[in-house]
Amino acid sequence: MRSIHRVIAIGLAAAFVAAACGGASTASPSPAPATATAKPAPSFEATSFMATIKSKGKIRVGTREDNVPFGLKNPSTGKLEGFDIDIARELAKGIFGDKANIDENIEFIPVVSATRIPTLQDNKADFVIATFTINDDRKKQIDFSDVYFRTGQRILVKKDNTTITKAEDMAGKTICAATGSTSVDNIKKIAPTAKILALDSYPPCLLALQQGSADAVSTDETILFGLAKQDPNTKLVGPYFSTEPYGIGIKQNANNDRAGFVTFMNAQLAAMIADGRWAKSYKQWISPVSFDEKKNPDGK
Amino acid sequence: MGIVFEFPDYYLFPNGLWVTFQLSVLALAGSLVVGTVVALFRVSPVTPLRWVGGGFVEAFRNTPLLVQLFFFFFGLPLLGIRLSAEPLESNFRAAVIGLALYHAAYVAEIVRGGLLAVDKGQIEAARSLGLSYVGMIRYIQLPQAFRAVVPPLGNIAIALVKNTSLAATIGVSELLQGGELIESRTFRSVEAFGAVAILYLFLTIPMGLGVNWLERRMLVVR
Repeated sequence: MRSIHRVIAIGLAAAFVAAACGGASTASPSPAPATATAKPAPSFEATSFMATIKSKGKIRVGTREDNVPFGLKNPSTGKLEGFDIDIARELAKGIFGDKANIDENIEFIPVVSATRIPTLQDNKADFVIATFTINDDRKKQIDFSDVYFRTGQRILVKKDNTTITKAEDMAGKTICAATGSTSVDNIKKIAPTAKILALDSYPPCLLALQQGSADAVSTDETILFGLAKQDPNTKLVGPYFSTEPYGIGIKQNANNDRAGFVTFMNAQLAAMIADGRWAKSYKQWISPVSFDEKKNPDGK
Repeated sequence: MGIVFEFPDYYLFPNGLWVTFQLSVLALAGSLVVGTVVALFRVSPVTPLRWVGGGFVEAFRNTPLLVQLFFFFFGLPLLGIRLSAEPLESNFRAAVIGLALYHAAYVAEIVRGGLLAVDKGQIEAARSLGLSYVGMIRYIQLPQAFRAVVPPLGNIAIALVKNTSLAATIGVSELLQGGELIESRTFRSVEAFGAVAILYLFLTIPMGLGVNWLERRMLVVR
């Protein structure tokens, strides 16, 4: 089974890469978007963290390399790409100026879920952008930027299912989710009588849904998009019943060594949303799986 | 941090242990019954029965237990066979059937060995006393065979208890899955899986002692 999943995963990754290459080639002939406010190189107060970064000449960015479509290493070029990577490059341009070879000023630090907070606390990265859900426990340990991407838990059912249309309908039904995930807790919170079929990962859950052992699969929407793409006889239903707001993680400004950094990040994110750079990245990376378009994290 | 055996959802351990116990008892009973029948098939004078017995043993002994569990849980419904209308009951049943049949193949080979080890003179004496074939098997061959195979059957029983942990992969909330849940909630993997290992010992060590006792009790020559 595992090797089948791996084959599927590789296939999906290849599909994303192919889509990405296609997107890039169609975009390149158009002239570079000359924004009215384009400045050669921004300047910062000498005491600010941005000035420190600028004088060092490199910003260290913690990202994931295995997280389609947010951050992954393109196997043919060896370069990182994805939604998170786009945002990271735009943030770097905010410090070093708008230039084509911005990667010269970025040092990408690979992280996984469990190493995101330690990477910041040990000062191995200046910021971490890696589908990092903002929550209260984490806020005690690190600082977060404003929400730059919002997702949530939804439900995947068979196309002909009419009994489950929202989260409350899961009551009494058998719902598949990964063993020990927060998805299980969210299901129990909203539908305490739901019966949980806990399997190791989501591809077996899709199998359980297909052959009728589970009435639905429920987890983060981004994962369900991937499953729905594998099996066109399934559909996503209902609004979010949990919110997973992603933020950019930054070391806490304990002894003023991160002066002004969060404020700077938030201003940059707001600018990206306002001038359409955010929407462009969303269209390139997220729309191929979500089949929708968004102009900001909160929707239309 | 240190190692602290203190879990917020500790009830998952006794609940999981109980499910593991149920799985073990039901699958062990099933494997002994099916295994003995298959062993009798394999030594039967009727050729087609020997084929059936041989086919069973080769099929279940030569494929991984995990694959068999996946077949019984994911595969059977695709063939239109539902073990239960209730999915969370059907994965338990799939686990019991898978564990029972897999270990029955080993039990069959062990019992067959025991049957063949019974002295030929015993069989000839039984037949010359006028016992039918069935009577000879029932009163002469099987009792002596079981006495000889208690130690290897004990091995199979203990292996079966440990193999119940594979049922976690088809969503049975047994002991290992309880440990996985606690690990994911506390991020204390050493303690969670340490506790799981100790609880398995609670099942297997008494079982080993029981087998030793049975072995002494059934010994003909003291």
